[in-house]
Parts: sequence; C-alpha cells; structure tokens
Amino acid sequence: MKKVLGLLISVFLVLGMMSTSALADSAKGQKYYLKYMKDGSGMNGAKFATQHTQTEWKALFDGKAEKFVAEYATKYPGLETFLKSDKFEKFMPDIKDFCMEFASDSGNVPSC
Amino acid sequence: MKKFIVPLLIGAVLSSGYAADDSLKQEIEALKVQMAELKNAQSKINIDALKAQVSEIKAHDAGDNIKWTVDFRTAYDAVSYKLNNAPDQDNGIWTNKLILGMAAQPSDNLIFRGALGVYKSFGQDNISQTSSFQDFDWYGTQKPGDSTIKLREAYFLYFGDIGDVHYSASFGRRPSVDGFLENLRVGNADPASPIGHNINMEFDGASFKFDLDKVTGVSGMYFKICLGRGFSDTTGAYSMNSTGFNPGYIEDSNNPDMDLAGLIFQAYDNGQYKIMANYFQGWNMMGLNVFGQKAAYQYWNGSGWTTVNVPAFNFMDVGDMTGGALSLQVTGIGDGMSDFLDDSIFFLSYAFSKTDPNKNYFGTMSGSTDYGMLGSHESETGSSIYTGVQVPGIMKGQRLGLEYNHGSKYWRSFTYGEDTLVGSKLAARGDAYELYYILPILKNLTAQFSYIYIDYDYTGSDMFFGQTGTPMDVDKTAGAVKTAQNARASLRYRY
Repeated sequence: MKKVLGLLISVFLVLGMMSTSALADSAKGQKYYLKYMKDGSGMNGAKFATQHTQTEWKALFDGKAEKFVAEYATKYPGLETFLKSDKFEKFMPDIKDFCMEFASDSGNVPSC
Repeated sequence: MKKFIVPLLIGAVLSSGYAADDSLKQEIEALKVQMAELKNAQSKINIDALKAQVSEIKAHDAGDNIKWTVDFRTAYDAVSYKLNNAPDQDNGIWTNKLILGMAAQPSDNLIFRGALGVYKSFGQDNISQTSSFQDFDWYGTQKPGDSTIKLREAYFLYFGDIGDVHYSASFGRRPSVDGFLENLRVGNADPASPIGHNINMEFDGASFKFDLDKVTGVSGMYFKICLGRGFSDTTGAYSMNSTGFNPGYIEDSNNPDMDLAGLIFQAYDNGQYKIMANYFQGWNMMGLNVFGQKAAYQYWNGSGWTTVNVPAFNFMDVGDMTGGALSLQVTGIGDGMSDFLDDSIFFLSYAFSKTDPNKNYFGTMSGSTDYGMLGSHESETGSSIYTGVQVPGIMKGQRLGLEYNHGSKYWRSFTYGEDTLVGSKLAARGDAYELYYILPILKNLTAQFSYIYIDYDYTGSDMFFGQTGTPMDVDKTAGAVKTAQNARASLRYRY
C-alpha cells in the first residue's frame, strides 16, 4: 500500500516538474474582476464578459490590451485607474481568459 | 504582277490588324464594365454585419444545446485505522470517478444545470451487498460503489430583477456538495452553494436568492432561502403487506419525511474578503430503529453450521435539529506585499449544531429501547472550528493546502457527501488535519495528493441522529476507531 502511494507520488512529482502549465486562469480572472473592476463597471462578471464575442475580446486584448484599456477606460471612467495600473498589466492574462471563457458566443453558462 | 500583289497583301494585313485592335478594345471595355460592377457589388457587402451575424449564430447555437463537461478522476486511496483494543485495519483502493456536467441557457433568464455521476472501485460491482447504507441518497456520487450512473445535480434557475434586486428561483436536485471552503481541498475553482463546513451532501429541494448589493451598496451581499427534503416518507410501486399488494407510493409509517429549511447570507464579497453565514432548521431527523435480527449468512464451524445474524432495522423520527456557520475567506493576503501573499488563501470558520429530541422510542443495537438524539434525552449543542491556508506550490500553478478542524463531543454536521473514504473529516468529534498538493500537468490534467489524519475523541461522528450518533470516549470503548488516515494520489481530467 505504502509502496504504491510512494510510486504514484514520485511519478506525479516528476510529471509536475516537467509540466509547462503556466497558463492563464479564468477563475482567477473572475476574482480579479470582482476585486478590481466590478465596482467600476457596475455589473457582475457574467454580464461584463458577454459584452463581446471571443473574437472581439481577443482583438481587444491583443498585445498589451491597449484597445481594451482605451475602450473601457472611456466607457467606465471608474475603471481608468485600475486599467492604467501595473496591477492590470500583471493580471491581464487571467482577466482576458475570464472574458474569453464567458464571451457571448462561448456557449458557457454562467453559474449565477 | 508582283507590284500589284504586294501592296494588296500589305493592305489586307493592315486592315485585319486594325479589326483585331478594335475587337480587343471592345473586350477590354466590357471587362472594365464587369469589374466596375463587381467592385460596386463588393462595396455593398458589409463585412462587419456578416461578422456580427456569424457571432449571433454561434451564440445562438451555443445556447441552443446542452453544454457537456467532463470531470474524470482515477485515484488510489490508502486508508488505515487504529482501533481501541482491536487489531489495526488498513486497505488500498483504486477508484474511478466520473462526473458529467450539463448546462444550457435557452433564454436570457432561464438556465438549466445538471450532473450525472459514477464513482466506483476497480473491479467491484456488488459493493452495496457489503453495506445497507452504500446506496444512500445523500452521497450517491461521492462514495465509491458500483458502475451505476446516478443523478448528482439537476435544477433550473429562473432569474430576473425586481428594481435593484436581482433574484433567482431554483428547483431540483441541488448543487450541494463541495461548497464554500470545501471547494479548495477538492481543487474546484468555484464552490457549490452551501458552506461546506456544515452542509455537504446531495439532496433535492429549492432555493430563492436575492442580491442586495445594489440596494445596500455592500459588495456581494445576498441572501438565499434553501429548502430541501433529505428523506421521503413513501413506499414504492407494488410494495407488499401480509395479504397482498399496497397501493403505490403510500406513506411508509416507519420513515419520516426529513425536511430542512435554511438561510444562506453572504455578508460581503469583494473578491478578496468573503464572509458567509448560514442558519438552518431540520425536522424529523432520522435514527436507526432496530426491531429484530435477521440471518445474514451461515458458516461451517467444523462440527455444524453457525448462523450469523445482523440487525433488522428501519428509520424513525428522533427529533429536530438547528445549526449554523459563520465563515471568512481571504483570497490574497494583503494587497501587493508580495506575489506569494497575493496568491495565498486563508479561511476560518465556526459552526454549531443543536438537537431537539422527541420521545419516540426506538430499538437499540443492544436490544433495549430508548429515545433521544445523539444518545441524549436532552437538547445538546455541539460546535466545530475549521481553518486552513492554500498557498502557491514549488512550480508555477501548483498549490499547497493545509487544513485543521476540531469538533466537540456533540458536534453533528451534514457532511455525509464529503469526498473522503474514511468518513467526513469535518464531522469528526476530535481533531482532523489535512495536507494536500495540487499539480497541474496540462491545462486539463491535474495530479493531486492529499493526506488526512483524524484523531477522534468520541465515537458517533458522521452517523445518524439517534442512538448510533452517541458520543463515547474512544479510549474507553472497545473497537472504537481512535485514529483514521486517508492518503490519496489522483489524476483528474477536466474539460
């Protein structure tokens, strides 16, 4: 029993070391949205994400998300400070992943 | 002659050349007209409108079907127990767990969600023969059994707005396992509905949620009324009495309807700080009523057959119960102090339970009769604390979690659906510790190890509400489980 566990843990650790999963996380993006953007936009995350299609979000977040910042800082002045901060630059990949995940044509159903 | 023929030939060639030039010119002109027409037609096509149309079709089709998700886990669980005045026991079990999630949003204000589940041990399809309670409705997809597909969740959400209050109403089999706080240790990003500290079991019912954040200006504030039935007082079709058949689905007087009504209140959630509370009342809690014995099997003892008897039982209403919890989760400690703290989670929760026994007499395991809840004729209050942290692991994306909980002598949770093979750690009347490590291997493939150690003070954790839930000192009770351990290594695929 202990040998099986030990073997499994060793294999998983090796796999874990080899993994390249430094990927964006939509769940984290949702939390960042709630923490930094919900008050400024005045709407919940599910509603926010359905404002654009996946293609549109992709275009808006292209590069360093300059187009997204320009559009949303104008549309929602309450977001301007955050969108132009270092924090946004840091969390942008996760926020982008969240927007893509729940875009209007994603087919994903918000959990309400 | 030559003088006459040569000029004629030159004239003929020149005249045919002029004719060809005219024809070419005409063709070019015709082509120009055609190109102009094409350009004109092309300029009338609105690319943006086409793009919008494609998106609209995509969105419509996406919402027009059930969206399936797959959550599949293969795990190895090592369980071991230290018993008082009895040999230790241990085992290693391989399991497969499959949850098929469903979701559809046919219209803007209506959502359906569901989940089908199978949780089975390798090569075992008659495990329910080893236990009368294996197929209980409270944990059908949370305890390994056979390969039968069971309904884990199925409910619709109807929602809308009353002024500034966003509301939702829902009926069906609830998303009531792996709730708030509990979702961290099982590696789920989003919690299910209840506070996992005191409610973590499958049941059917309804909920009505009202968002108060816009009215009060308090971020994330809402309250939710939850109603559920944990046991239905009914026979099935073609049930029999001593003289023949009963009508279908009549009351089975042995089994009370077991109902629950609760209030979930989210006081605050700004994405970093989240405070939730619940309070519930349960009616007609069930206890085991042992009314005799039945022969289970016979074995050859060397000189003759010996019959082994097991208790014959049904359920009885032993009383009511109230309970509640208050929980805080901090996602990101501080603000910008360090990446490590920004990515760390801390939680702390307190819960209580209080019995209200009636005087219905039931038969006990020892053959006597008695009444009361959790082995007491009086109302008893129990409590539990639960705390933990989840921090970044060694490599990016990995997570390390540490948890601790303690339950008092009369603590009773509704955490029968907790995903542990040694029984619910959060139900423990004693101390429980857990360490887990989550390693993403690919975007959709995750490995996880977890180790749970439970040091019991009293027996009866995670049992029913009558005599079987009696807290007895594990150091003074022969055969009582003193400690339990559950180590698990698993691979999980999600899409």
